[in-house]
Amino acid sequence: MGLGLLASRALRPAASRLLRYPPRHGLARAIGSTPERQSPEASAAQAQPDPAPELPPRKPVAGARVHLPNPEDAIEVFVDGYPVKIPKGMTVLQACEVAGVDIPRFCYHNRLSIAGNCRMCLVEVEKSPKPVASCAMPALPGMKIKTDTPIAKKAREGVMEFLLMNHPLDCPICDQGGECDLQDQSMAFGSDRGRFTEVKRSVVDKNLGPLVKTVMTRCIQCTRCVRFATEIAGVQDLGVLGRGSGEEIGTYVEKLMTSELSGNVIDICPVGALTSKPFAFKARNWELKGTETIDVTDAVGSNIRIDSRGPEVLRILPRLNEDINEEWISDKTRFCYDGLKRQRLNDPMIRGADGRFQAVSWHDALAMVGEVIHKVGPEEIVGVAGKLSDAESMMALKDFLNRMGSNNVMCEGNGKHPNADLRSGYIMNTGIAGLEKADVFLLVGTQPRVEAAMVNARIRKTVRATHAKVGYIGPPTDSNYDHEHLGTGPQTLTELAEGRHPFCSTLKNAKNPAIIVGAGLFEREDSDAIFSAIETIAKNGNVVRPDWNGYNVLLLHAAQAAALDLGLVPQSPDSIKSAKFVYLMGADDINLKDIPDDAFVVYQGHHGDQSVYRANVILPASAFSEKEGTYENTEGCIQQTLPAVPTVGDARDDWKIVRALSEVAGVQLPYDSVGGIRSRIWTVAPNLVSVDEREPTTFSTTTMRPNTNQKISPNDFGMAVENFYMTDAITRASKIMAQCSAMLLKK
Amino acid sequence: MAWRGQLTKNLRELRFLFCQSSPASSSARSFVENNYKELKTLNPKLPILIRECRGTEPQLWVRYDFGVEKGIRLEGLSEEQIFKALKEFAKL
Ligand code: SF4
Ligand code: FES
Repeated sequence: MGLGLLASRALRPAASRLLRYPPRHGLARAIGSTPERQSPEASAAQAQPDPAPELPPRKPVAGARVHLPNPEDAIEVFVDGYPVKIPKGMTVLQACEVAGVDIPRFCYHNRLSIAGNCRMCLVEVEKSPKPVASCAMPALPGMKIKTDTPIAKKAREGVMEFLLMNHPLDCPICDQGGECDLQDQSMAFGSDRGRFTEVKRSVVDKNLGPLVKTVMTRCIQCTRCVRFATEIAGVQDLGVLGRGSGEEIGTYVEKLMTSELSGNVIDICPVGALTSKPFAFKARNWELKGTETIDVTDAVGSNIRIDSRGPEVLRILPRLNEDINEEWISDKTRFCYDGLKRQRLNDPMIRGADGRFQAVSWHDALAMVGEVIHKVGPEEIVGVAGKLSDAESMMALKDFLNRMGSNNVMCEGNGKHPNADLRSGYIMNTGIAGLEKADVFLLVGTQPRVEAAMVNARIRKTVRATHAKVGYIGPPTDSNYDHEHLGTGPQTLTELAEGRHPFCSTLKNAKNPAIIVGAGLFEREDSDAIFSAIETIAKNGNVVRPDWNGYNVLLLHAAQAAALDLGLVPQSPDSIKSAKFVYLMGADDINLKDIPDDAFVVYQGHHGDQSVYRANVILPASAFSEKEGTYENTEGCIQQTLPAVPTVGDARDDWKIVRALSEVAGVQLPYDSVGGIRSRIWTVAPNLVSVDEREPTTFSTTTMRPNTNQKISPNDFGMAVENFYMTDAITRASKIMAQCSAMLLKK
Repeated sequence: MAWRGQLTKNLRELRFLFCQSSPASSSARSFVENNYKELKTLNPKLPILIRECRGTEPQLWVRYDFGVEKGIRLEGLSEEQIFKALKEFAKL
C-alpha cells in the first residue's frame, strides 16, 4: 500500500465528518450546551411563541436511544418545554439526555450505581421548592424540568465554587489538563471570579501500584473510582475515609489495587486525581494523534484508540463498543504499549558461521531463504503462525507453503489436531454481549479473569445483575464473583456428561445456560474426547436450541479464530519434529526443543523474543500498531487494525514479506495488494471479509460432529495463562508489564 | 461409494461456502447437513471447512498438493450432482 492510500485512509473519517455535519455555529461544542442554549435569545424566540407541536425535535445527547419495552409504561415529561416520552423509572438526568440537554455532572456515570453526592447536576423542577439533583431523582409523569433557568445556573455556579475551594490550581502541571471535566465545566458553568482567600486542604497521595498515579489533593470525592472498583472490577480495595473536609479516597491500609481492570479508574476519574503513571508528564493530550484500532493482546479484540506523537505510541485508551468491551479495557491492553519500542527487530539478519547475527539487505536475506527452502523435501517444510498474526499474513503464509508442497501450516495455541470444520465449534456462539442473557454458566478449564478480562467483566456483570449461577471446573482460581468449584479435571466432566453430578439439574433447569470452554484444552492430547464430553453435556442440558446457542469456546489469542477460519490445520500433527525447514511467523511460544537441530529456522516477527535464539534468518515485520490487518475475535467478530505509527527500521508488513519471498522462491503468489489478498480470503472464509460483522453459524457442533473413540485422560486441567501481564512478544518486552507481574502477582 | 472414504488420497482440503439463509444456498446447506458427518467419519484427517457468510454464493472448493485449487458453484445443484462434482475432483 502506498503512502497516498495511507494518507487518504487516515484523512477519510475527518473529511467526511466535516462534509456531513457542517459546523452549525462558530464556537466549538462546549460541554453541557446545546446550540440553542449557546444563543439564549434564539432559543427563547423559538420556545416562546408556539408551544409543543411545531418545535423542531432535538437530538438526544450522543445519539442516546430510548427503548420502550412496553408503551404503557412510557411517561411524558417536559424538558425546557419540550415534551419527551421516556420509560418509567428513568431519572430526570436521563430524561434530559433524551431531550437533548446534556446536564453537567461529576459523580453520575451511566454504568455505575448512583451516588448523588457532587450536586453538579442540579436542575429546577416546577413545584419543587429547591433545585433537585437530577441524577438521583426519578422522573415522574408530567414533570416540568427546567435546565437553564437563573436558579439552575446559580446553583451550578455555587456548586462549582465549593468544588474549586479545595481543588488545587495546578492545571498547568496536571496530566488531566485539556480533558478534565472539572476544567471544562468550570469554564462552562463556573463563576468568573473567586472569593476564596483561605488555605486549601491537602491530602496525602496513595500508592495504588505501578499503573495508577494519584494526586489525592485534586480529588473531588465523587466516589466514581470506589464504585467502579466494587461494582465492575469486583475488588473491595478502594473506599471513602473520614468525613467533611477530612474526607478522602484510599485503601484503608497501604495496599496496591490488584485488579486487571484498574486502569479504567483513570478514565472515569473526572479530575486529575487518578492519572496514568506511565504516561505522567509525557505529553499533552492535544498534541496527540488518535488512531482508532483494536487490541490484539487477547482474543477479545477490545476497541482502542492509540494516541501517538510522531513515531511513538504514547498511550492506549478504550473506545466504546457495547458488544465487546463496553467502555473498559484491561490493564494489559492499556499499558503494554511500551513493549512496542523495546527489543524490536529492525533489520533482516542472517546467523553467520560464528553464531552471531549479521544485518543484511532484504535481497540477501530473501535469496538465502529462497535457496534453502528448495533444498528440503516438501513434507519437511513446516510453517507456524504466531498468536498475534493477522488474517492476511496467515493466508499468504498458508498459500506460500502450500505452493511449496507443504501441508503443514499451523497456528500457535490451536493444538496439534485442531478441528476447524464448523465455526460454531471454536467461537463464542452467544457473543460477548449475549452472555448477559445467560442465567447459568459452566466454565470448563478456563479462567476468564486472566484469559479474557473483558469477558470476565461481562460474566461478573451478569452475576451481579441477575444472580446467575456459575459452575467451574479447573484448578482453584481467584475469581471475582461467586462460583461453585465443581472439580479440577475431566472426571467431573464425565460425571456431568453422564448426568451423575448435582450441577446437571441446575443446568437443565436454566432458561439460557451457557457453557464456556477454555481454549487451553485445545493443547491436550485428548482434546477430541474432552470436547465430545462437553458436547454431550450441552445436549443433555439443552444448551443449544434454535433460539439460543450457549456453547462457547473462549479463545486465548488474537490470531486463533482467523487461523481456524482459514484452515491452518497441519496434515501431520508432529511434523515439526521431523522438519528441516521451519517458518515461524511471529511464533514465540512453541516448544523450540521440538525443532530438530539440523533444521533451518526462519523467524519473521517484530520482537527479539524467545524464537530468535533458534533462528537462522530473521525477517523484521511490523507490529499491530503499524499495520492494517484483519483480526477475528473470540465471538467471531471481524475487526481491523489501522496503522497508528510508522514501523521501525527496515521492517515490512507480514504478508508483504511472504509475498516477496514467494517470488524469490519461484512460486509467486497471485496477489500483490491488500485488496487482492482479501479477495483470495473471500474464497476461503468469506466471513473474514465482512468487517465489523459477526456471521452467525448455521450448524452446531453438538449435532454434526462424528463420534470419537479417544479416551479421556485423567490429568487435571491446567492454567492456560500463568501470568496475566505477560502473554506474548509485545507484553514480554514491556517494562510496565514486568513491573506489574513483579508487584501484583505476589503468590 | 468407496471413493468417499478415499478423499484424502488426492485432496488436502475441502471447503463449502454458502449463505446462512438465502434460497440459492439451500441445496448446499442441506448437502452439508446430510453428509458432513459421514464424510468426516470416513475421512477424519481431511479438513472439511464449512464457512458461512451472508450473501455468499454457494461454492465448493478443493485443494490438492502444491496449493492447486478447484472450485465449483453449487447453486441449483442437487445432492447427487454435488456428489458427482466431488467425485470428479477427488479422482484427479
Ligand atoms: S479519585 Fe477521582 S474518581 Fe475517585 S473520588 Fe476522587 S475525583 Fe472521584
Ligand atoms: S451528578 Fe448528580 S449529584 Fe453528582
